[in-house]
Formats: sequence, structure tokens, C-alpha cells
Amino acid sequence: MALDHRRVPGPEESQAPLLYAVPGEAGTEVPGREAASLRPLLARAGLLSQAEGSAYVELGGGTKVLCAVRGPREAAEGRGRLLCEFRRAPFSARGARPRPGPAAAEALAPAVRLARYPRARLELTALVLQDGGSALAAALSAAALALADAGVEMFDLVVGCGLCRAPGPGGAWLLQPSEAEERAAAARLTVALMPGLNQVAGLLGSGQGGPPESWAQAVRLGLEGCQRLYPVLRRSLLRAAERRAAEAAQPPLASKSVT
Amino acid sequence: MASVVLSEAEKVYIVHGIQEDLRVDGRGCEDYRCIEVETDVVSNTSGSARVKLGHTDILVGVKAEMGTPKLENPNEGYLEFFVDCSANATPEFEGRGGEELATEIVNTLYRIFSNESTIDVKSLCINPREHCWVLYVDVLLLECGGNLFDAISIAVKAALFNTRIPKVRVLEDEEGSKEIELSDDPFDCIRLNVDNVPCIITLSKIGCRHVVDATLQEEACSLASLLLSVTSRGTLTCMKKLGNGSLDPESIFEMMEVR
Repeated sequence: MALDHRRVPGPEESQAPLLYAVPGEAGTEVPGREAASLRPLLARAGLLSQAEGSAYVELGGGTKVLCAVRGPREAAEGRGRLLCEFRRAPFSARGARPRPGPAAAEALAPAVRLARYPRARLELTALVLQDGGSALAAALSAAALALADAGVEMFDLVVGCGLCRAPGPGGAWLLQPSEAEERAAAARLTVALMPGLNQVAGLLGSGQGGPPESWAQAVRLGLEGCQRLYPVLRRSLLRAAERRAAEAAQPPLASKSVT
Repeated sequence: MASVVLSEAEKVYIVHGIQEDLRVDGRGCEDYRCIEVETDVVSNTSGSARVKLGHTDILVGVKAEMGTPKLENPNEGYLEFFVDCSANATPEFEGRGGEELATEIVNTLYRIFSNESTIDVKSLCINPREHCWVLYVDVLLLECGGNLFDAISIAVKAALFNTRIPKVRVLEDEEGSKEIELSDDPFDCIRLNVDNVPCIITLSKIGCRHVVDATLQEEACSLASLLLSVTSRGTLTCMKKLGNGSLDPESIFEMMEVR
């Protein structure tokens, strides 16, 4: 019998084995967590050599986001445009390969001075390498850092913060949930703030949050979290600028390098 | 979003009027335009509705078909949304112009309906893991006159209320294979309970006040809007910020009090 070498000898569709797992001991994870505690954040700007600006943000607990900015490039339309693409790596989430993430270009648009770039196009690509909870918030912070690193004129940095509400009546809102908390959550919220101007750049929430007072409280908690994360991002930008200055002064033309 | 070109003088006129709580057509800031809802307009569907809100005209058709349940939720049926921005609505939607808007609307609808309390999807299941009802909700934008999200949410709720799903019986053979029998009586059907389906309210920020149900001209003057989906019991299920501007946190809290 002739073998058909083009076909893979296996089933046509594949599923992740976690779907067949018996939901048993999942429940009780990190019960003693303070609602307003932030996970440690690592931010580094200026690491890709091929892009005009780049940033990498990592949250303690496994969320890793890489962002690159190219531009300004010439475009045909009259106004400056910011094109954002948020992508998840196929292996980023636990379980099956996920669908593409939501578009959140509106959260970054208020921060960029597009009026200074007529007939130009800024392309931003964010890639979520690993989703350990609050991936969208980390992606927004990384995107703003990458734009700043590229030298695009901005009004302020955008800091993103994720929240989720524990299930059950009267569940409390938790800041920067981990992946397990997010999966079990009754409601999720992502807040993007421009801390220097105290303006909310983006807001996206869904789920059974309860009455509006509870959502208002969650937004306040998110804004506070953003304010606390702001100095970390600023310092990473400063360090990137110092690194760039040191590298530029390295070739031994001048006498000393500026440190 | 479809837009009109306004001169600076017209924008100033609208903004000043709103500051005095007087809009161009004489409404107050928190008044809706006259809404007309008509159900059962298309005979080939399981349910349909047409909503006219000022100049905005939306037609929604729901078709119930049998399918296989999704692997993650074997005991539930599901809904699939599709939005078609036809070129009749505005000339901007010709060809692929309306796709961005359509994707945004579809994502918002999915976010609202992915909540378990919105629609009882367990009642859509016929045989766990094998058969279930899939409701294909198709939204057609006939005319775009501002405030699309509100009109679409009202139309979807009305169409789901109007949906008649035929009753089926499952017969088991001796070998265990199941057969599905449709009842002969065309009026023997189950209706969906849409009490918990939320309605969307879009609040647009114009100047320093917010307005409900903005027309196209008012949308062109507004910097940003907040979209809230509210159930009849007053709980919020979804929150999203639209537009390229930023919002002051105080105005967000003010908007949430209004709903």
C-alpha cells in the first residue's frame, strides 16, 4: 500500500489535556494576600537594536511582555497615526492556544503628541511572551515605555494596572492578580493612567462586578496602583538613556566617556 | 466611527450649549432621543428586532441552529455575534472601511455576554458534550446617526426576547445512539429569559460635562466616552473607554453615578 507522506499520521484536531482534568484541588490559592500589594515589576527600555524604541516589562509571577516601536514612517494620510498590534505568543497562556488579544490603541493615543507627526505613521507591536495575570496592563506600560524610548514626543507615560474581583458576594478587588486569581475571578478590570497629568487614558472592565460603587472603588484602587508604579518606569527610562549615552561616548574619539 | 466634518464655530456652539444643559435639539444632558422598537420583522429568523433611535437604525436577526458544545463548557450552548456595517449607513463603510468598527462592536458584545448571569446558556444544551443550540446573532447597521452601542444593545435584547427555539426530544435507541426529534407544532417552542441582559449606556464627555445619547455632531466634539453596560437591577457588567482623549478620574466617577 502506498504511504501518503503528506498527511501527518494523527488526529486532525488537537486539544489541550487540561480540558479533561477533573476540577479538584484548584480553589484555595494564595489566600493570605493583601488586596493592595503590588507584584515586583522589572522594566527595561532600549534592548532591541533593530527597532527605534523597545521595552520589556516583567511582573513577578510570570507575566512577560516585549514591545517594539518603529517609526515615524511616511504615510499617505494627512494626520499622524499610531498603529498598535497586541499579540500573544501561542504558548503564552496555560491551556489551549488563545485567540488574539484585544486592541487597546485608544489607551495610548492620548499620551502621544500625534499633532507633531503629520503624515507619519508610528507602528507599535507588543508581544505577550507569558501570561501570568494582568497581561494587558503590563503590555500598556511596556508600549508607553517603548514609545518614550523611541524619542516620540509624549505628554506623559501611560501606566497600566490590572485588577480582579474574587468570586462570591462581597468579593474584594485585588490589584495585579496572578493567573490563578484571574481565572477564578468574577470580574476583571484594567486601568491605564497618565500619572503626571492625573488623566485616565484607558479603562476596560467586564464581569459581574456588582453595584457601581464597587467599580468606582476598584478604579480608585487601580489609579493608586498606577501612581505607585510610575517611579519604577521613569527610572528605567533614565537608565536606558544613561546606557545609550555611555555607549555613544565609548569609541575613543573623545578623551573620556561620560558616566 | 462615522463622523461628520464640523467647523470650529459649530463645535463651540455645541460645547457652550451643553455647558448650559441645552443641546442642539432641545434635550437636556441626560435625555434620550425617542426610541422605537419593533420585533418579529424578518420571518425567516428565529427572532428579530429593529430599533430606531433618532437617525440610528439597527436590524438584528437571531437564528438558532444545532451544533456541538465547546470543549471548555460541555453543558452549555453559546452565542455567536456578527456585525455588518453596510455601506448604506455611511459612505465611510464602503468596502472594508467598517471592519474596525464591526470588530470593536463584536468584541464588546462578546465581553458582555460572556458573563454567566446574562443569559442562561445551560438551557441551550440538548445533550451534554454532543448537541446544543447555537444562537447566531447578526447585527445589521442600516443607518448610523450616533450612539451605536446603545441602539445595538437594545436591539439585541429585543431580538433575543423574540427568539423562539423549537423544542426537541432526544430518543435513545437500544444501542445507545441518540436521535433528535423536532416537534411538529411550529408554535411549540421555548423562549429565552432576557431579564438579566444588560443595556449599554454611552456617556460622552463634551467640554466639562457628559451627555447621554450623543448624536453624530456631538460625538465629533467629544474627546472621549465611557461605555457602561447596566442590568435592570443596577449592576454594572462592563466598562470601557472609547475615543482618543483622556478622562479625568473625577469625571469617571461622576459618570458612574449618572447611570
